[in-house]
Amino acid sequence: MARRDLGANRFGPAVWAAATLLVLFLAVPLAAMVIRAAAASRGLTAAGLDTLRQAITLSLVTTAIAMVVIVLLGTPLAYILARGSFPGRQVLDSLVDLPIVLPPAVAGIALLMAFGRRGVVGQWLAEWGITIGFSPAAVIMAQVFIAAPFFVRAAQSGFARVDRDLEDAAADLGASPVRVFTTITLPLALPGLAAGAVLAWARALGEFGATIMFAGNFPGITQTMPLAIYARYGAGDLQAALLMSFVLLVVSLLILVGFRLTGGDRQEGGGRSSR
Amino acid sequence: MRTSRGARGAVMVVLLGLGLLLGLAGPPGALAQGTGWACAGPEPATAPEGEASPETAAATAGPIAFPAEGGELTVFAAASLTDAFTAIEVDLEAANPGLKITYNFAGSQTLVTQMTEGATADVFASANLAQMMAAVEAGLIAGEPEMFVSNRLAIVVPSDNPAGLTSAAGLATDGLRLVLAQAEVPVGVYARQAICLMGHDSAGYGEDFVARVAANVVSEEDDVREVLTKVQLGEADAGIVYVSDAAVAGDAVRLIEIPDLVNVLATYPIAPVVGGDPGLSAAFIGYLLGRDGQDTLAAYGFGPVP
Repeated sequence: MARRDLGANRFGPAVWAAATLLVLFLAVPLAAMVIRAAAASRGLTAAGLDTLRQAITLSLVTTAIAMVVIVLLGTPLAYILARGSFPGRQVLDSLVDLPIVLPPAVAGIALLMAFGRRGVVGQWLAEWGITIGFSPAAVIMAQVFIAAPFFVRAAQSGFARVDRDLEDAAADLGASPVRVFTTITLPLALPGLAAGAVLAWARALGEFGATIMFAGNFPGITQTMPLAIYARYGAGDLQAALLMSFVLLVVSLLILVGFRLTGGDRQEGGGRSSR
Repeated sequence: MRTSRGARGAVMVVLLGLGLLLGLAGPPGALAQGTGWACAGPEPATAPEGEASPETAAATAGPIAFPAEGGELTVFAAASLTDAFTAIEVDLEAANPGLKITYNFAGSQTLVTQMTEGATADVFASANLAQMMAAVEAGLIAGEPEMFVSNRLAIVVPSDNPAGLTSAAGLATDGLRLVLAQAEVPVGVYARQAICLMGHDSAGYGEDFVARVAANVVSEEDDVREVLTKVQLGEADAGIVYVSDAAVAGDAVRLIEIPDLVNVLATYPIAPVVGGDPGLSAAFIGYLLGRDGQDTLAAYGFGPVP
């Protein structure tokens, strides 16, 4: 960490050329989308606007519920993974990581096999008259499945960075374990939790593959913004698809800025190397 | 306390993003509407006719030989043609060494969007005239589209038929989980036309039939095969697909016929695409219009062009 960064002139032209090429490749499509979206805003039909607003509403409601579930269930898991020492911890650790690297289409199939009407769990639920497919519940389940690991990972790093001596000191002074957790551990781990929540929300907002396979596609019920973008694109209504993409781009940028401000990027790096 | 200040800033920025979405979000009252339910059109008695056909050249077209040196032919085709066209590929490639056919199967509306955005094809086979005309208007089509095959609609239910559906009239049963294709997908258009025909007074399905069926739609899919998949999985109680799809679906689904009076005749146009290989395209289209092509299509549940 003590090593100084190199000045710009220390990199050869070939390094700069290669780096510039990739930056352009990343930036040009986004810039092109912004340019075209500006033109598209004039051609938006009333039906397109309806689709857009319904999709935004549904995305907000489903991701909000998904986030509540993720934070409520993910925080204890992250705490256990950060502090616990028990047989199978490694396996549990890998299991939590799996949805991060799993293609969403695979997640969609997996959710269908589990909770579809003929699924391993779903057929049993169906006997009780509970069917999940084609409902907002299915959308939320897909989002939790895909996004929860992002929260758990970051929250785990947050807990791991908390100074155990402070907790011990509080305990020595007579604080109950619950009091130690709520007044020492949780506040100190909060940046990690916040960074994880922001990351998970971003991922839930963008969930597409598992949702369309498991929840289907119906405006106002299961058609979240990514699904609406795909549906309008397929329907030849590029205007609406462009505008929704633009809205998601702006939100993604804000999420990224927010993530940077939590120090989440450094949290993540620190947490990983200390494990 | 840099972090806590940072965290506060982060919350502000993320709230800004949330606020942006909230500002754009629609009122809850606007939720949960299916699309494409404006019933206007032919009455059941007059004609269950899909669309006016531009050209029916099936009888006149003779077989055109593929170039001896072969070549690569890319065909963009409606999803319902998947099995029949794949069988035709096997036949054609066996008979014409050096010929390589590549298909891109999807909803016709998606294919038009892809070609408009620059995807290259030699031939476009659409499941309805509307999407072919969209391609013509976009300047994608070389020459005149020709109708080459027809199809009819059928209802499919999972083999265990969880909703106990026995006829088209049952589509209006409360709580039935019905899957259709989107209103822009040809089979979605045809299905809505058929339901509108059923809803017409003279069909005798009841006066609020269309509204009740529309309320049963739980998902709008991108193409006919995704409708079929949802039924095969048992996720949906029923779906409306083509007779040809039901024919290849196997034991996982059961077919329930839609009576001719309220059924729709789907006619498929095909045309060479601008910038494609004219020789290969003409030979492929000629083969489809000829006896061998028509026999294969018939074997997969398609009908002739009327």
